[in-house]
Parts: sequence; structure tokens; C-alpha cells
Amino acid sequence: MKTKYFLLGVGVLLGVALVLTGWQFFQRPYTFRGSLIDPPVPAADFELTDQNGQPFRLSDQKGQIVLLFFGYTHCPDVCPLTLSHFKQIKADLGDRADQVRFVFITVDPERDTADQLQQYLPNFDSEILGLTGSMQSLESVWKNYGVYRAKQEVGSAAGYLMDHTARTYLIDQQGNWRLTYPFEMGKDDILQDVIHLLNRE
Amino acid sequence: MKPEYRPYLIRLLVVFAISLAAMLLVVEGAYLLQREETDRGPKTIQIVVPEGAAQRVAEGEMLEILPENAVFVIGDVLEVVNQDSTDHQLGPIWVPAGSTGRVVLEEANKFSYSCSFTPSRYLGLDVKKPTTLQTRLTGLSISVPTTAAFLFIYSLLVFPINPKPKKSDSEVKA
Repeated sequence: MKTKYFLLGVGVLLGVALVLTGWQFFQRPYTFRGSLIDPPVPAADFELTDQNGQPFRLSDQKGQIVLLFFGYTHCPDVCPLTLSHFKQIKADLGDRADQVRFVFITVDPERDTADQLQQYLPNFDSEILGLTGSMQSLESVWKNYGVYRAKQEVGSAAGYLMDHTARTYLIDQQGNWRLTYPFEMGKDDILQDVIHLLNRE
Repeated sequence: MKPEYRPYLIRLLVVFAISLAAMLLVVEGAYLLQREETDRGPKTIQIVVPEGAAQRVAEGEMLEILPENAVFVIGDVLEVVNQDSTDHQLGPIWVPAGSTGRVVLEEANKFSYSCSFTPSRYLGLDVKKPTTLQTRLTGLSISVPTTAAFLFIYSLLVFPINPKPKKSDSEVKA
């Protein structure tokens, strides 16, 4: 009889410990995977032209999350991989993908014309926006977003390469710089943060 | 519980207590002997980039913001407070002017990050896995049951439990 009470007591204690541990685990605040900008600061506004010749102004995107990447269409590695991640994130978001804009801004306006972007981006997803513009307007955007770019002559038939910043920026629904992701960060990390921000909204 | 099982249960409990004490001694002893400064819980490490840092670095000045090779532990939050009038970067953290960027270090590794506020433009970060209370408890949870099981079997071989002979009917009657 005593053994029964003892086992019952142990069982109750274990149950309470399990519930408390579970409660603590789920109570933990969300930790962003990306590099958090806190407090968030308003993202520098800009107006460029998309692959369809339509103007794109960042401040018009409020209410949506903007994932922004700087690259170029002749890029052999980083840019195709990042755009593939964009495509997968968009697919994983399903119906909620319409609350996120996926934006690709060129660092190579010499070759990345609207036509070139229009041909290139459907290889990933035709809803990814490719932006280009005059050198003056692009230089202002690159400067405001801390983007480094340098031409590299490699003597290849494919032409020159561009050495450039490979960071992805997340601009939240209020138009603030909120998170940045280094190239090495996996698409699942970006997806988790996007879902968290969408849920919070 | 059947009375004939009781000596086994008592033996098991004694052996378990001995194993717990022995393993506690081993685990804590090893921890104390090999303890490092990174054997701690995660914390926030703040780096303040002062105003004019970009210009001073461009002029070749060495800013004493962070040791050249810093050691962190998993779970540490690396926070960069940018008081400069231009944006700065430390590896995965990009901080616009006048803001703060932070990242949770989640992977143990030696990183060499590009850094905009050191003259070398690079900064080495060593992220280690700390030995915390949780690590030691995990060690105990693995070592104690296995040691207890081994000792229990060993003790049964060395000191067998002899069941008390049942009294025969004739003895009872007598």
C-alpha cells in the first residue's frame, strides 16, 4: 500500500516537473535568426524601375514585408542561390506569400537592363521583382544600404564578374529595417523570421 | 511487491546511490580541474562603435573596441551599438547609423568576419560550446545508470543474494 502511494507521489512530481518545463519552453520569447536591428529604423526610401518597366517605390510597400537582395544576373553562384532561396521561401509561405515582396536590385546596371531582368528572373519565380535604374539613383541606394560592389575582370568569355555584398535585408510592414541575413544563413532561418513577423502582425 | 524481490530492490538503490556519488565526484572534479572562462551561461556582449569611428579607421587609427580575437559561447548575444554617422558591419551584423544590431551566436566555430571598424577589416570570433550545469547533468544522466547497472551485476556476482529458505511443512508443524 505504501509503495503505491510512493509511486503515485513520484508520478505526480514528475508530471508537475514536465508541465513546468514545457511551460517555460513555450514561454520563451522568440529569438530572431537574423541579425536584428533594434530599435528598428526607417529603411532608406528609393524609387527604381522593375523588369516590366513599372516604377517601384519602397515606401509604397508598407503593410508588406520586403526581402531585399543586391546582385546581378551574370552572377555564377551567390545570386542564383539566394534567388532559389527566395523561391523556396515563397513556396513555403503558401497563401501568405502575397504579404511578402521579394526584391532583387542590380549591382550591375550596365548589363542588367529591364529586358535582361525580365528574361532572367522567371528562371526562379516571375513574381520576384528585379529593379534597375540610372547609375545615379542606384548609387544612392547602394550607399544607403551599405552595399559594396566592385568590377572584377577575369578574362572570361562570359565577361566580368561583380564582387558585391551578399546580405539579404528584411524590411518590416512598417517600412523599417528590421533584420539582415548573411549569405551563409539558410532559407529556413529567414522563413521562420518572416512567419514570426507575419503572425505578430 | 513480493518479499523475495525486496533485497534486489534495496541492492539496486544502494548501488545507484554509490554510482551517483562516484559519478558526481568524477564529473564535478573534471569540471573544476578543466574549467575555462567560457564555461558560463550565455550573456550579451556589447560593442560600442563611437562617433567618427569610420573616419578614424580610414586614417589608420586602431580603435580599442574589441580584442582582436574574442571568445564567445553559444547563446551569447553579440550587440553592436553604432554611434557613428555611417553604417557599420561586423560579420553578420549590419548596423545603420545611430542604431543597434544584435545577433545570437548559435554555432560553435572559429569565424573570421569582415569588420568595418578595425584597420585590418577582419575580426576573429571564437564561439565555443560551454560546459554548463546542463552539460554536467547530461553527463550524469548518461554515466550514472550505466555505472549502476554494471555495479549491480558485479555485486550480484561477488555478493550473491541468497534467498531465505522456505520453511517446509514438517518444520511448520513441529
